[in-house]
Amino acid sequence: MVRLGGVGRRYGVRGPWVLRGVDLGVRAGALVRVEGANGSGKSTLLRLLAGIDAPSEGRVTGRPRTAYVPERFPAAMPFTAIGYLTHMARIHGVARGAASRGAAARSAERWLERFGAAEYARTPLSELSKGSSQKVAVAQALLAAPDLLVLDEAWTGLDAPARAELDRAVAERTAAGGAVAFVDHDPGRLAGAVDETYGVVGTGPGEAERVPRALRIRRGWSRSSPHPQAAPPLGALMRGRHVVIETRGPRGAELPAPVAAAATVVTDAPEGAIRFTVPESRSDLVLRELLTAGPPWHVVTVTRAPAGAPVPPQAPAQAPTEGRGR
Amino acid sequence: MSALLTYQAALLARSQRWLAPVILYAVFLAVGVQSGQPVLDSLAYAAAALLPVAAWLVRICVSNEPPAARSCSAAAAGPGRAHLASLLAAFLAASALGALAVLVVTVMSDGASTNGRLPVPRVPAGAAGLIAMLVSALLGTAVGALTNWPLLRSPAKSVPTMLLAALLLLVTTGSPAQSVLTDLTTGSREGSVPWPLGALAGAVVAAVAAGWAACAMSSRRG
Repeated sequence: MVRLGGVGRRYGVRGPWVLRGVDLGVRAGALVRVEGANGSGKSTLLRLLAGIDAPSEGRVTGRPRTAYVPERFPAAMPFTAIGYLTHMARIHGVARGAASRGAAARSAERWLERFGAAEYARTPLSELSKGSSQKVAVAQALLAAPDLLVLDEAWTGLDAPARAELDRAVAERTAAGGAVAFVDHDPGRLAGAVDETYGVVGTGPGEAERVPRALRIRRGWSRSSPHPQAAPPLGALMRGRHVVIETRGPRGAELPAPVAAAATVVTDAPEGAIRFTVPESRSDLVLRELLTAGPPWHVVTVTRAPAGAPVPPQAPAQAPTEGRGR
Repeated sequence: MSALLTYQAALLARSQRWLAPVILYAVFLAVGVQSGQPVLDSLAYAAAALLPVAAWLVRICVSNEPPAARSCSAAAAGPGRAHLASLLAAFLAASALGALAVLVVTVMSDGASTNGRLPVPRVPAGAAGLIAMLVSALLGTAVGALTNWPLLRSPAKSVPTMLLAALLLLVTTGSPAQSVLTDLTTGSREGSVPWPLGALAGAVVAAVAAGWAACAMSSRRG
């Protein structure tokens, strides 16, 4: 849905490259994590993905409906929280026409309520605490139900219930077919559901020529990651719960592609059925794909995978320098 | 675009930062325009004063959104469109201010030529004044667009460049603003109402080019 091809970014005509040679595609429904040290260009990469910055070289193709959440939202603007969110809903194109103001305001109120900030709806933005401001920034993005959601450490500053709610909202977005790209300092963030991880690392032959690039370092929750220091701890891997689905399709039919992409441990079940395991964050998407396939599949059973059961890697480990020489 | 424009206009109206340029403009008119003066001369004076005020309004509009909020609206609508909305909000505010000034000046002034011997009809004079205001608002917007974020970011460069450019546009031969002012004062001396449509076309071209440049740069400068 959005693809960066040979993208580089620098500030000013002769400034140093912040990022260079980035090839990266985000599929519909994908959850993409970006990692890297402080100042490595993670935020720049997210801003390029979100279309806020244009690349200095290379090209960005595809521009889905996008929403962005910055790390800090100290928005000293002369609006109340609900007033700002209503404006943003209309800018996002959520609510059009004469009745749009009311619809936009109701949607804004729902999101503030989900993040426990309903009481601040009529508070001027300039009087909100740091955490409450961040909730407004998150609500601004989520009420758009964007095709591409870009989160630059959006969890920072949120209280624990709001962080968990944001995790759930991200899972809802990907289940509905939207893509999410994020940076977070917590290595365990959404660990069970991440589809692809990109690392922004310097890869020059010498220290002076180090140009930050984005490399795909992990795909799925491959445990034999070639970057052991970057891999999430085992606890984080096991935390992502899984669901076993048994389904029977039309004679000779292959699993629909989005289902096949999410499924692991595909085995034959009795009476021509197929049994496979998917991450719980994907189960809604997978069931929807099965039931709406043409002709539709019959879902025989859905059960939760036993906790702690080992989940084999989804795909073989990727070489760390895929497509890009060091 | 209308949602973005509503947002930018609300930001401008509620920020109250528009008060300073608008009050300055009112003071400027109060000092320079008195009742019973020739209408075209007073309109020329009022139109000239609007140009730096329009540039100032652009400066307010493009810096009204905190960077974090600007990132959010730029992701939603595209950075170029978001920036265009702020320029348009400033242009519309300047135009409204100019239209109000034309109304007040036309009612207050004397419908006569500079020497008072030839009659100058008020309504056509007011229409010519509106064109002059539009030229000033367009050129002021162009100056503001080129001398503020994203093209010039430090206030130390931006503010002097903006004011100098506005002044030069008013006095340099060949600038649409200068040509409109000459047309109005000459018309006032000769007792005929001018139609400075050529200058208006020039101002439109300048404003479109400046706006395009600023919007194109809005995604390239951090």
